[in-house]
Amino acid sequence: MNRNNVKQGIQLFLFFAKIGCFTFGGGWSILAQMEQEFVDKRKMITKEELLDIVSVGKSVPGIMITNISMIFGYQVAGWFGGLCSLFGIASPAVVILAAVTLCYQAVRDNQWVQYALTGIRCAVAPIIISAVISLGRAGLKDAFCVAVCLATFVLCSFLGFSNIGAVLTGLAVALIRMEVKKHGAH
Amino acid sequence: MVLIDLFVTFMKIGFTSFGGMSMIPLITQEMLTHQWMTADDVSNIIAIAEMTPGPFGLNCATFAGMQVAGVMGGIMAVFGVLMPSYSLTLAAAACFARFKKSSVFEQILWVIRPVCVGLLLSVIISLIQTNYFDGTSVNFFKLGIGAVMLVLILKFKWSVPKVIGLSAVLGILCFGGYGLF
Repeated sequence: MNRNNVKQGIQLFLFFAKIGCFTFGGGWSILAQMEQEFVDKRKMITKEELLDIVSVGKSVPGIMITNISMIFGYQVAGWFGGLCSLFGIASPAVVILAAVTLCYQAVRDNQWVQYALTGIRCAVAPIIISAVISLGRAGLKDAFCVAVCLATFVLCSFLGFSNIGAVLTGLAVALIRMEVKKHGAH
Repeated sequence: MVLIDLFVTFMKIGFTSFGGMSMIPLITQEMLTHQWMTADDVSNIIAIAEMTPGPFGLNCATFAGMQVAGVMGGIMAVFGVLMPSYSLTLAAAACFARFKKSSVFEQILWVIRPVCVGLLLSVIISLIQTNYFDGTSVNFFKLGIGAVMLVLILKFKWSVPKVIGLSAVLGILCFGGYGLF
């Protein structure tokens, strides 16, 4: 690792830390900023390359935007660049949430805060319902998908299946489905 | 030891979740089974994570970790939840060209996405139980606020911070005001 790597790493860290500060509600606004900065302004990668990075980052497990930052940083400046980008995007969120948690712990027992939080909790189910609707549109593409979704719901709601167990079972089903399709094609 | 436990738990959550809200069911279940948080706390953190910048998974990990074991707890939870990024994703980045062409992950997601939807559905059921019921009876104030928010989100396309702000005000008016009369 030479001096140039370190310099690039610091640049990546600062850039991702900057955009990490201004991203509300999910990763898509971060992508727009990455496109502006790296595709339009600095011409470091093409739009197609960015889209490829996104599609790979989306399909590995974990947090989408940290995955994408990791791949992007790696392409620009190797594993060190990847780590710098990853910690750059992560640090603002962690620092802000640490402050919020301290505030939460300080005011949580106040009666009026309790009333406000009771109201806020009423909004949580609607927020998740709207997320389920858009996820359902994107993810339930055929009868097989609907069956998997319903089976998961029944197993976890009524039969005490653990959530991690359900995801791992889904993974096994996916691998079996791939094998079956492969043999069907021959 | 609780720090290692936090790291391992959030690492499991990281490896079995695929983006954004799909983390909610996993986090909810792990927090409740470890008795690290109450059901109310979990709902509060979901709202807080939605209102603050940064990815949902990181926000939850920081909050949960700090609640359980202070600053060190937060750091361990964050390192845990980021584990996929600096293992699997780093590997994917290193053989990017081959990875890009392979459809294996896309085919896995074909099944995993419906699983996530199913998990979220069952989380909604348990959230309805904790947030709209007092014991076994429905609290109509709470249900009313929920119904209004659902309409505002789905029909009027309100953004999440606005919805949360309004429901906080309604909460103070309904539950605080109710006590005054």
